[in-house]
Amino acid sequence: MSLQYVVLATSIALVAIGVYGLTSSNNLVRQLLSIEVLFNGVVLLVAAIASANPGMLTLLLVILVSVVSGEVIIVMALVISMYRASRTLSSDVLEERGV
Amino acid sequence: MDVVLLLGVLVAIASVIVALLTVTLRDLVYSSSLLAVLGSLVAAFLALLGYYIVAAFIVIVYVGAAVMFIVLTVSMLGGGGVEARNNLRGVLAASVTLVAFTVALITLGIPPGTFPVNVDVRVVSDSLLSDYAVALVVLLVALAATVIEGISVARRG
Repeated sequence: MSLQYVVLATSIALVAIGVYGLTSSNNLVRQLLSIEVLFNGVVLLVAAIASANPGMLTLLLVILVSVVSGEVIIVMALVISMYRASRTLSSDVLEERGV
Repeated sequence: MDVVLLLGVLVAIASVIVALLTVTLRDLVYSSSLLAVLGSLVAAFLALLGYYIVAAFIVIVYVGAAVMFIVLTVSMLGGGGVEARNNLRGVLAASVTLVAFTVALITLGIPPGTFPVNVDVRVVSDSLLSDYAVALVVLLVALAATVIEGISVARRG
């Protein structure tokens, strides 16, 4: 057993847990949290597999984290906007409206 | 057993438990707080692998700003009504994902890596400010636009 396999196993588990949360709940915040769990799994997966050029991977991961931080801002702004409009965080309301 | 490997196993177990609690706890404030813990554990993993810059960046930018933003927003909004759950659908999707990823990794093969990796900070910073300077500027402009867009959307609602 090496550290690489431990990281790979953890990353796959995190991705699966993220998919579970994303598909099992209708709450928008819960779905965002699940996507973030999934993102953490993907970061670990990339770090464990693509170790041939660590300098390049460092740049890639820094850019990836920056972009995901921006995505969080947009999604939370949309969630606030939707909550003000319909007083609920359920994604079923969006389906009913045909969004 | 190697100390680094032992630490890795402990962090792995903690990560899986925290991730499970994040997606299953009823209280969204606790869930989002646990996401901050998960981000810190992933940063610990990256530090064990030798990616110290990325680990520091995740703790400062991702956990310190993005996840804290989620925690504060969720605290303001509350639960948002009753949450309907479909556990069967979730377990099925997670099982398919687990099998697909495992089969893909076994089929494609895992490139052997030597950890911890050796990242030269000087080379990374030189590369970021010379070869990837345009990408850096685009990223900064995009993030500034994102913040303005986020404030605009939240105020409009």
